[in-house]
Order: sequence, then C-alpha cells, then structure tokens
Amino acid sequence: MNFSQFQNQARLYVIGALEPEELEEFEKARAKFGKKGEDFITKCYGLHEAFALSLRPAKANAAIKDRLMAMVKAKKEP
Amino acid sequence: MLGIQAGDPDALSQLYDRYNGILKALILRVIHNEAEADDLLQEIFMEIWNQAKNFSAQKGKPLGWMVTLARRRAIDGLRKKQAYARAEERLQNETEQQPDAWVHNATEEEILLSDTRTLIRKVIRTLPPPQQQAIDLAFFRGMSQREIAAKTNTPLGTVKTRLELGLKKIYDGLKELRDEL
Repeated sequence: MNFSQFQNQARLYVIGALEPEELEEFEKARAKFGKKGEDFITKCYGLHEAFALSLRPAKANAAIKDRLMAMVKAKKEP
Repeated sequence: MLGIQAGDPDALSQLYDRYNGILKALILRVIHNEAEADDLLQEIFMEIWNQAKNFSAQKGKPLGWMVTLARRRAIDGLRKKQAYARAEERLQNETEQQPDAWVHNATEEEILLSDTRTLIRKVIRTLPPPQQQAIDLAFFRGMSQREIAAKTNTPLGTVKTRLELGLKKIYDGLKELRDEL
C-alpha cells in the first residue's frame, strides 16, 4: 500500500467503514508509515467534527444539565 | 478541558453550554428519539467528565474528541436497541425538519461555528447524492461497506468508491475551509 492508498483507507478507517480484511492491511500500512501515518489519521478525525457541525444544533431538555451537574457534584463530595 | 481535567465542575458547566446543541444534534441524527437523545447526552457528558484525563490536545481539538465519543455511544445505543427499522421511518420524516436552535444571542464563537457550519454544508452539498448517502449511512448509522451495499442494492466496489471519493472531497474541502476562517 502506498501513502496515497493509505490516505484513502485512513479516511474510511476514522468513520469505521473499513471491512475486517481491509483493516488488517491498514494496520500493517499504519505500522509501516509510522508518525507520518499517525499524523494523517489525526487530521482525518477532523471529519468527525465537520459532520457534527454540518447539523443544526438541537436543544437539550433543560433538566439534563441540572441532573448532570448534580451527579458531578455528588461524585466530587467525599 | 484543562479545568475539567482538574476536576472543576464549572468548567464542565461551560463546556456543556457551549457544545450540548452540537452533540445533541449528532445523537438525534443517529437515534431519532428526543428522550433517548437527552438521556444519552447526559451519559456522554458524564463520560467526558470521567474520561477527561485521556484527552490530549496534541491529538486534536476537544470538540473532535467529544464528537468521536458521542458518535460511538450513539451508534452503540442504536445497535443495542436494534432500532434500525424504527429509526429508518423517523429519519424519512424528520431529516428535513430539524429545528434551527441557533437563533439566540450568539457569541463570537457561536458565530464562528455557524460560519463553519455553512461552509461545511456547502462542501457536502457539492457531492453527488449517492456519495452523500454512502457517507451518511457509514457515519451516522455506523454501517459497514457491505451493509451499505446491501441496503442500497449497490455493488460493494461501487460503495467503496463512493465513500473514498466523497470523503476525499470533504477532507480537501475542510483544508480550504481552514484557510478561509
């Protein structure tokens, strides 16, 4: 696998779309490309952020935050 | 994130205010159920609180980390409940009708996110519909290439090509977008 092919596979990898047999090949190439490969994979995770940002924000129920903060504070108390 | 890593509840409160709308939209897009999305949102922020020590700024931005976590939890939830059929029906009805909650007094950061959203949508809209569909099914439904091929009655090789081309276009579009912002 050359680096261009690795880049194509990396974009599929970060969204979990590689098939098991492709994943095996990808992991071998990932080890071969080392830091350069890891840096590229990190950049590909920007796709996650982009897909989330493409959606219109939705309003959460107001009680959710109250429950969350109560749980966090309870957990912090000795 | 530093505040959360230090165990400051106020930092979590601020993070929640800033990003709950984005994460809720993502969860809703996956599971299509308002009450379940709210419950999952709460669980995800609790996980963010518990796992904050695992976040590394060198590995990306906090939003990217949170989105990855939220997507995984939402897809896990969808699979556990085996709600594909129900979600499918709701997806048809709701996709075009999500309310735009981005109408309150916007801060500078919100305006920037809103600009980013507009630009990302522009990039996604340039993709041919089959590429958009393949990416949508892979990212928001957690489907494998084989599952997408079966669902869309398309050869596996074609699905792979659609995903590769579509993701490359979006990735390249994001690089340009970063230059514009």
